[in-house]
Amino acid sequence: MTENANLPAWSEQFIEQAIQQLTASGPIADLTPQWAWGGSTGKGVRVAVVDSGVEHDHPALDDCVCGGVVVEYDEAAENNVRIEPDERPSDFAGHGTACAGIIHSIAPQAEIYSVRVLGKDLHGRAIQFAAGLEWATEHAMQVVNLSLSTSKEEYFGLFHDLADQAYFKNVNLVSAVNNNPAPSYPSMYSSVISVAAHAGHDPFVYYYNPSPPVEFGAPGIDVEVAWNNKQYVTSTGNSLAAPHIAGIVALIRAKHPGLTPFQVKTVLLSCAANMHRERKSNTKGTKDHKAGKDP
Amino acid sequence: MPKKKNPPEEKISEQLPRLLAAIEASGWAVNPRPKNALLQSIVEAAGRIFGAAAASILLVNEQERLLEFKVAYGASDHDLVGTKFPLDKGIAGYVLMTGQPMAISNVRQDPRFNQDFARSTGYIPTSIMATPLLAGEHVIGVMEVLDKIDAASFGMQDMALLGLFANQAALAIEQSQQMDQIRETLVLGLKRLVSADPSQPLAELLAVLQKGLDDQQVVSDLLALADAFNEISALGELERKACLQILKTFAEYRRSARRLHA
Repeated sequence: MTENANLPAWSEQFIEQAIQQLTASGPIADLTPQWAWGGSTGKGVRVAVVDSGVEHDHPALDDCVCGGVVVEYDEAAENNVRIEPDERPSDFAGHGTACAGIIHSIAPQAEIYSVRVLGKDLHGRAIQFAAGLEWATEHAMQVVNLSLSTSKEEYFGLFHDLADQAYFKNVNLVSAVNNNPAPSYPSMYSSVISVAAHAGHDPFVYYYNPSPPVEFGAPGIDVEVAWNNKQYVTSTGNSLAAPHIAGIVALIRAKHPGLTPFQVKTVLLSCAANMHRERKSNTKGTKDHKAGKDP
Repeated sequence: MPKKKNPPEEKISEQLPRLLAAIEASGWAVNPRPKNALLQSIVEAAGRIFGAAAASILLVNEQERLLEFKVAYGASDHDLVGTKFPLDKGIAGYVLMTGQPMAISNVRQDPRFNQDFARSTGYIPTSIMATPLLAGEHVIGVMEVLDKIDAASFGMQDMALLGLFANQAALAIEQSQQMDQIRETLVLGLKRLVSADPSQPLAELLAVLQKGLDDQQVVSDLLALADAFNEISALGELERKACLQILKTFAEYRRSARRLHA
């Protein structure tokens, strides 16, 4: 097998040899990590984690979980879903807790809300997922982490509409692309921030791929994460790359509350580790992203 | 006094019980279900190739809405096969619900908590890799391997390889389920014929059989139609429904045309 076989699907763009070097010039080159998120803790930004739930009392989360909902499939209910408040969320699988833990480690003062959309009824999953996304959009979330997707063609339109609604309501959707090489919604839409995994471990080093649909590559291979039952595990997958970007988006939005989703994406692009800036000082490269230091 | 059956009907009613038994027997004979031999060999091959301490296949039990261990290989302190648990539990549940493969390793509890976590479940793995069993877009189960013997964790390469085993397993399961369905439908249909009015339905069956033999063109046309429908239905639910709608509309159109011209 080739080296690429060690990476999740769509991650090929982010192996070292494949990363394309980009150049920013003009005012875009002035958007540096220091400007974008330097000193930010994500304070006050509401981040929804649409997943298997979040273990609110996991020690890694330091009480950052502020509430949430459980979206259940119910044939008798309107639109076939029932949404119940979940003040002290739990997580049946560990995956949602892992995502929340990554976001919290990057944006420690962001408020995390659990939107549990997975449950006992397999047939209703895409509908629950859609309802959870809609709930997040309508409840003043600024960032929504979507480390799951659907490949069902019949939901293309519904998710497209929901992604548009989120975009118009100033909500940044950060979506992991499917680990299987198949279409996945909503990660394929241009209005969302789509993320695949790269093999690095610095949470602030991410890359931009100028040949979408996958736009960003963030750490997602052998990542140490929080898990349910107060555990920690080492896990791999594109679904762990998305919360890295969601955390950075939370930092940016806390520091620059006026930014819109497309402006946030521009800032992300400009601060990507493969972006070289042509500035007055002629500084090249952006090696030190940690804590938003300028090169 | 019961109505005397004509000779061909008599022949069929004599043959029916034998026919039913033959269908039942052939179903069991070609079906991997009785001993899950094919699935068992797939799980064992996967377990050995990965050098895993254990491997298993879990299938969705639709009626009970549970996940059930169908076959298992390797380390476990009790027989897993037949054990059921809720769909919304653990990594298998997550993989089932999302259709996403997942690997985790180095499982350990936060030292600030001192619970007897999972002690009661017997075997506690330190690394797990699980992948969905996909029949088209539907996830019908999960295949998982536990604890790679010579490595701390499963890598992405392992995940891709497990996906290949899972495809084999899913195909085997799908075929056996289809066989079950065909057999059940046939047996049910024949049983209905036997239990109903002894003269009428048999006459119908006979007519169909006779007609089938008489008119080879009709049979081959019907087979071609079934073939085309099968091909379309494999494209997905939308295509299947569209095809059905077109055929229904066409049938309705023909019926109304006949009424108009009567």
